[in-house]
Amino acid sequence: MSPKASTRVARGIITFLFIYLATPIVVTMIYSFSTSWVKTILPNGLTLKWYSELVASPEFMAVLLRSFSLGLLTTLIAMACFLPVVFYANVYNPQVKSHLRFITVLPFTIPGIILVTGLIQLYAELPIPKIIILVLAISLLSLPLTYQALDNAFIGRDFRAMFEQALVLGDSPFKAFVKVIIPNIRAGVLVAMLLTFTSAFGEYVLTNLLLGGNFETLKIYMYRLMRSNGQASSVLTTIYFIFLAFISLILILIMQHYSAPHKSTKEGAKK
Amino acid sequence: MKTRLKVFFPLGLLVVLVLLLPITVMIIASFQSADGSFSLENYHQVVSTRYYTEAIRNSLAISLVASVISLIIAIIGAWALTRLAPKTKNILISLFNMSSSFAGVPLAFSLIILFGNAGIWQALMTALHLPRTFEIYSLSGTTLAYTFFEVPLGIMFLFPVFEELNPEWKEISSVLGAKPMFFFKKVIFPVVLPNIVEVFTLLFANAMGTYETTFALTGNSLVTIPTLIGTLIDGGLTANVPLACTFATLFALFMTAIVWLGNRVTRSKREVKA
Repeated sequence: MSPKASTRVARGIITFLFIYLATPIVVTMIYSFSTSWVKTILPNGLTLKWYSELVASPEFMAVLLRSFSLGLLTTLIAMACFLPVVFYANVYNPQVKSHLRFITVLPFTIPGIILVTGLIQLYAELPIPKIIILVLAISLLSLPLTYQALDNAFIGRDFRAMFEQALVLGDSPFKAFVKVIIPNIRAGVLVAMLLTFTSAFGEYVLTNLLLGGNFETLKIYMYRLMRSNGQASSVLTTIYFIFLAFISLILILIMQHYSAPHKSTKEGAKK
Repeated sequence: MKTRLKVFFPLGLLVVLVLLLPITVMIIASFQSADGSFSLENYHQVVSTRYYTEAIRNSLAISLVASVISLIIAIIGAWALTRLAPKTKNILISLFNMSSSFAGVPLAFSLIILFGNAGIWQALMTALHLPRTFEIYSLSGTTLAYTFFEVPLGIMFLFPVFEELNPEWKEISSVLGAKPMFFFKKVIFPVVLPNIVEVFTLLFANAMGTYETTFALTGNSLVTIPTLIGTLIDGGLTANVPLACTFATLFALFMTAIVWLGNRVTRSKREVKA
């Protein structure tokens, strides 16, 4: 195969994959704009009625607020747990990294459904608010994302020298970290925060099983609507999808903005 | 030493509180009989009750088929991705990332609109006077559903591996007179194979642990290990948390072994390289 032909084949494959993965999403979007679409190939008509109905319902705002606070708290806890450790591992003690690797496979060996079993066995009878346990558990399960994104932020610069100069100049370690290190890894921190927030925002398994559906977050609401009111659920799914797309767009922009100068130094070194 | 303690304290506390302690308690509970004494009764139930072995069989079947199919598609997809322009690559990777976070309730709902009883696919079949051939709430339907997040996940794992392959190798081997097939079999395949095995174990483990999509798609009509655990925790009268702990313990052991093996394959390759 000539390179040109193989590029054409590659484009074809990617286009096919794209259509395959996007079809369910596109169909849900069309469904959310349809007056009704039951047992027909095409919807009967188009309307915005379902959007105004859902957005106007008081439940909707309450649900968003709950998921938003869950996402925010989780992000803060994940950052507090990991920022110091990833910094320390990268700057002072790279051996720690090999021990941290277990965290990256954690969601595969102990997925949410397994973790929640242990959490219920341990905490069901204890007088600790379940919501605290929930936030901590979601933070733990989002750690791989946080870890990877933060770890990438430390590639390619001498943070040790920066940090120690600040210490020599009289800053306390904490102050030096906030003033000198954070500004230099802010892109990585931002990416890590966005990824953690998104995963907590859309959490379902832990929230549903640990709190028994009493704390209605986005996905739990979506599931309830799905059983009772397909149209409303499709609107919620579409809004959720637009939210995900928006986050992805920000991520793409951050990566393009920050990776551009990085790349040119790499190429310069090659020459 | 003191700063080190401070650095690791928050993470350590988190890991102890919501990972080590619950998992330890879970393992202990799995050996408890109804009256609280030590017994293997729960384990005996897992292997001897037909409904439970069915859950294990279903989980293994769906996960194995879904991860093999997804792996094949992901290999082709990741290869195709390396052939595109750098900017397109970045955008597509973000899109794949996004579509894998669409898994769960939203995915199940979309598939019901597409393939459900009142869905578009059935309408199409009826209009064309064809028999109903595909049931989304079935084993094969669930397997199809899994591919929607397994494929993008596989591509995201494999793409960096393929991206690292050096295009110069191909030139060198063709200068030395190697045929493309020979090159593929003797150069590319040995380098990539360990990674493919590792990605396969991750995809398999991911499918085995899938609760949200299965539950949202089939309710409790299709029983897998995760949905069974969900029922045992959540099921009101039929709730049996110690038995859920038994299933969860077996699951965690089995998955740790598999992921460890998968990791081992790539690790040994790295050591040889060094």
